[in-house]
Amino acid sequence: MHNNHIVEAKELCKYFKTPHGQLHAVDGLSFQIAEHTVLGVVGESGCGKSTLGRMLAGLHEVTSGSLYFEGQDVTNPSRKAKKSLYRRRQMIFQDPSSSLDPRQCVSDLIAEPMNVMKLYKGRRERDARVEELMDIVGLAKRYAFSYPHELDGGRRQRIGIARALACDPKFIVCDEPVSALDVSIQAQILNLLQDLQYEKGLTYMFITHDLSVVKHISDEILVMYLGCEMEHATSIELFEKPLHPYTKGLLSAIPIPSIHTNREEFIMSGEVASPINPNSGCRFASRCIFADEPCYSESPEVIEVLPRHFCACHFAREVNGM
Amino acid sequence: MNNAINKEIHSGVSGKLKKRSYFAEIWHRLVKSPVAVVCIVYLAVLLIGIIFADVIAPYDDKATDLSSRFQTPNAEHIMGTDDFGRDLFSRLLHGGRTSLIVAIIAVAIGIGAGMIIGAVCGYFSSLVDNILMRFMDVVMAIPGMLLAICVSVALGSGIVNTALAIAVGTIPMIARQLRSSTLLIRNQEYIDASLLFGASSVRIILHHVIPNTLAPIIVQSSLYIGGSIMAIAGLSFLGLGVQPPTPEWGNILNNGLDHIYDVATRWHVIVFPGMFIVVTMLAFNMLGDSLRDAMDPRMRK
Amino acid sequence: MSDLLEIKDLVIRFDTEDGSVHAVNGIDLHIGSGETLGLVGETGAGKTTTALGILRLVPDSGKICAGSISYKNVDILKMSDKNILDIRGNEISMIFQDPMTALNPVMTISAQVMEVIERHQACTRGEARARMIEILGKVGIRPERVDEYPHQFSGGMKQRVVIAIALACNPKLLLADEPTTALDVTIQAQVMRMINDLKKEFGTSMILITHDLGIVAKSCDSVAIMYAGEIVEFGSLEDIFDRTSHPYTKGLFASMPRLDVETERLMPIAGLMPDPMELPLGCKFHPRCPHRMEICTTDNPQGTEVNYGHLVKCHLHTTKNGDMD
Repeated sequence: MHNNHIVEAKELCKYFKTPHGQLHAVDGLSFQIAEHTVLGVVGESGCGKSTLGRMLAGLHEVTSGSLYFEGQDVTNPSRKAKKSLYRRRQMIFQDPSSSLDPRQCVSDLIAEPMNVMKLYKGRRERDARVEELMDIVGLAKRYAFSYPHELDGGRRQRIGIARALACDPKFIVCDEPVSALDVSIQAQILNLLQDLQYEKGLTYMFITHDLSVVKHISDEILVMYLGCEMEHATSIELFEKPLHPYTKGLLSAIPIPSIHTNREEFIMSGEVASPINPNSGCRFASRCIFADEPCYSESPEVIEVLPRHFCACHFAREVNGM
Repeated sequence: MNNAINKEIHSGVSGKLKKRSYFAEIWHRLVKSPVAVVCIVYLAVLLIGIIFADVIAPYDDKATDLSSRFQTPNAEHIMGTDDFGRDLFSRLLHGGRTSLIVAIIAVAIGIGAGMIIGAVCGYFSSLVDNILMRFMDVVMAIPGMLLAICVSVALGSGIVNTALAIAVGTIPMIARQLRSSTLLIRNQEYIDASLLFGASSVRIILHHVIPNTLAPIIVQSSLYIGGSIMAIAGLSFLGLGVQPPTPEWGNILNNGLDHIYDVATRWHVIVFPGMFIVVTMLAFNMLGDSLRDAMDPRMRK
Repeated sequence: MSDLLEIKDLVIRFDTEDGSVHAVNGIDLHIGSGETLGLVGETGAGKTTTALGILRLVPDSGKICAGSISYKNVDILKMSDKNILDIRGNEISMIFQDPMTALNPVMTISAQVMEVIERHQACTRGEARARMIEILGKVGIRPERVDEYPHQFSGGMKQRVVIAIALACNPKLLLADEPTTALDVTIQAQVMRMINDLKKEFGTSMILITHDLGIVAKSCDSVAIMYAGEIVEFGSLEDIFDRTSHPYTKGLFASMPRLDVETERLMPIAGLMPDPMELPLGCKFHPRCPHRMEICTTDNPQGTEVNYGHLVKCHLHTTKNGDMD
């Protein structure tokens, strides 16, 4: 079981120094991602999901805790270890207009990782690989010499995907890859990502604020709030039996495009608190309708309430009538 | 921007995709402005004139002929002659060569050094950045002409030294500009993407930072060339820059000024060199402005 | 019930160096008092331009070329500039998408709300201040915070202020341009509920511009689906959600991942939005339409009423009707 975990995080923390104090972007997250699966990470803006993704991709250093990649400790990798990691993990960014260099044409953009890593000796081999990648992500060859600003958002995101695939990684962090796109284009990109996952046996960490998207694409889902884990379960389980009050509120806040739903309305009051120097106790306590004395003083532990369904709430059982 | 995207989509569908690079697009927009076209044509003619000065110039620029001093423009000497009877037109053509070469060297030194300092400071904001930028501030605090005079006095006259003297003043300005653009670019996600492939800092600066800051630098450089021509002329005028008998617009003008007490018959010795300096500087400046308009997408309606 | 606002055959075009951008191409809309109309479409469909057209705020390069917008039976397009100033912010007001840029950073919240009240209502400063406190209270901002500056508020709170400014003069019609797109879902739910409550309280009509069919299902009475500057389908909520008729609307529903329905694979609409400078001949949707017919490439379909009040602009429905006749 343990062997096929491609990523394992233990008490992972990332703090930033700010003029007002320490910003707890990610605060003690532990989870595993099994090979060939998709872990969805959801949360509102400022919950630390992007920081988590960048840590896993190796763009942020880890403040404390440990991170394992295919069983190897990569918390603070050596220069040599980093080199092999570049080929094995990659990232797809949210905003294709800022993640693609505007002065490079499509083929240069896709060839860049191969040039940096010196994957191909000959120019011809490399160009053949660029063509192959463009074909894989559904970019017509005639765009090879176009510049990103000449293309629409969907095509730009395809370039980003092709670039991430250039070195055949095993694990890809997708940081809100479809948030900037219109629905009809979003569906095209989601289908592409799914197809690639099946065909290449990829593992994704899919970060998004859109619960409908995460439900569609993920096997397991991690719900974050202010840098902490709230709930972690399989996708089906989480949407059928949300245990944490935050997850429940999040789910009921999503407008359903149908006129026949009779969901109980449960609108969360208040707003996300500041992640700078947070109080001890449950991060969600100030907005929680079930909050009681222990919630303000003690940070709840993540417990396995149901088999493979984790929840960090003092009253997980009580709230759900268990 | 959106229009460009949509246009692309459409032409893509119909199969006639235009491969027009970023700079081709700018050129296309630039030549739509009549001012820019006039400047480009003038500069092109001037450039051809000074490159082929040996062929075009009717006389040797250093050949004196004391029998024909101070001739006003006539059929033989279209811009007249100077105090040694040298053909003014020939001297101005050859002088332009010196002026432009020095100006281009000066701007090249300024931009080269400024870009490296700016990009390094912006990319590694640290102690190095602080020290270098404070030093740049000190240099900027000294008026440009004064600085050029000081450097020129210290280094002595001559083409390269004059170019250096003028370049020193432009380095901090370019460095500042490049530093702030670099700071912006460093936070773009494409830098993160490159880091994920293991790209080195040198590679990122050369492949991503500098190409993306080039546009405003090109605009600046055309403005600086104009300014440098003026500065060189100024230095030569003061007797510090290029020394006679090597012709240079500034020292031709300076020489003319010695004989200006008889304006009615000797006006041409200052009007023509003055005209070349002013018009050329104006052409570079206006070309710079047009370039900026062509590069700034917000200028598009 | 007579309509509060009726738009007929509105055409808005932007002239650029490279050609004309056909942003809005002959749309008809009507909205009764107290009603909420959802204007749905993807980026570049012409939703915002339509709203700006209603206020005659189309940017300089744009031109309202044809059509009429009658508000309380007076054509807004023929009004004098002075009269339109009295209507903007007073009778018809607008909520913009981005609360970060809609507020002036160097003015206090109270000053920005009072500015609108003093412009449109004959009242003393004290009365204006009382009204300001009242309206900000309604959007959930406590009186002790009204003299703060926009940067001291969160995004959700800023959007509440923007809504307060829009509602300050009891407008008859509210144009809400993606009012919650920049906000988190839980805040979006709060803000949408608040807008709906206030709308009911004041009896305001609203045109809600959005790309989110979920929000439409919750807040609107009727829906207009826009594509390439045209309204391709218009009808009541039931018409649009249960009797979806236009292939584009169907495509929109099929491309959305849903919480309430299990979908193994999404069915995206093929292709891309057409270039508004070079719109295709015939039906604007035909290059992407799975049911394309010969006629679609040559003739632009007219709106056909498939049900009472349910208009569809598609040849599938015009020919069907022809057959039935």
